[in-house]
Amino acid sequence: MKDSTITLCLPGNIRFTRLASLTASKTAELFLSSMKVSKGIDDFQHAFELSVSEAFTNAARYASPSSHPQPVTISFRFEEKQLTASITDSNPAFTIEPPVPDIENYPEGGYGLLLIRSLMDTVSCRRENNTNTITMSKQPEIH
Amino acid sequence: MIIKETKLDNITIVAPVGTLDASTASLLNENKVLSETSATVVLDLSQVDFLDSSGLGALVGIARKKREKKADMVLTSMNDNVRKVFEITQAFQLFDVYDDARSAAEHCRTKTASQ
Repeated sequence: MKDSTITLCLPGNIRFTRLASLTASKTAELFLSSMKVSKGIDDFQHAFELSVSEAFTNAARYASPSSHPQPVTISFRFEEKQLTASITDSNPAFTIEPPVPDIENYPEGGYGLLLIRSLMDTVSCRRENNTNTITMSKQPEIH
Repeated sequence: MIIKETKLDNITIVAPVGTLDASTASLLNENKVLSETSATVVLDLSQVDFLDSSGLGALVGIARKKREKKADMVLTSMNDNVRKVFEITQAFQLFDVYDDARSAAEHCRTKTASQ
């Protein structure tokens, strides 16, 4: 299982958000099955389910044109101690540091990266060959 | 996602069933009880298996519109994963949250009667 990579390519359309997030959850479950993990299983799965949902939504929302959206690629890499998910799109460049939403003003958006950063151990973003990739990793608790 | 509606003590209980993410959040905004009426409602989240920031954004927008109409939307019965989204984003500050629909409906009935 170690060093395996799973890659999923979806149209950049929010209709496919749940397919992306459920794939993330099941991939996390598969990763955990190869490790001696006794607790935090649901939290680990949910962290990937939610973080991939957020990253895919962000990529799909800005994919253009909406009638023929650019594909979004989701990769999962099984490493010795951690699972890494990468979401790549070919949208215009974006910033990794949007302002934190001011909750008292009832903001309807801006929570996505806050959630990803809270749930994942490491998060990074790079711009390369006219693509954006957000990469996020997390280690399960091993006992 | 489907949305069920029932009445409890004359308070409408709205219960979305399924996933609240970018692909389904618009269905909440299109729900008349949630978005168009000035009635205080209970949103029963017991059958929501997954919520992300798009789903949360829809709830925040509906709550804001309710309060602009001097009404409210209170929440009930969220699972642990939904609760975690509220905790991380501090969205609990914006909502009254109850463990069960009956307690939430009682709160709404009392609040409506006092206005």
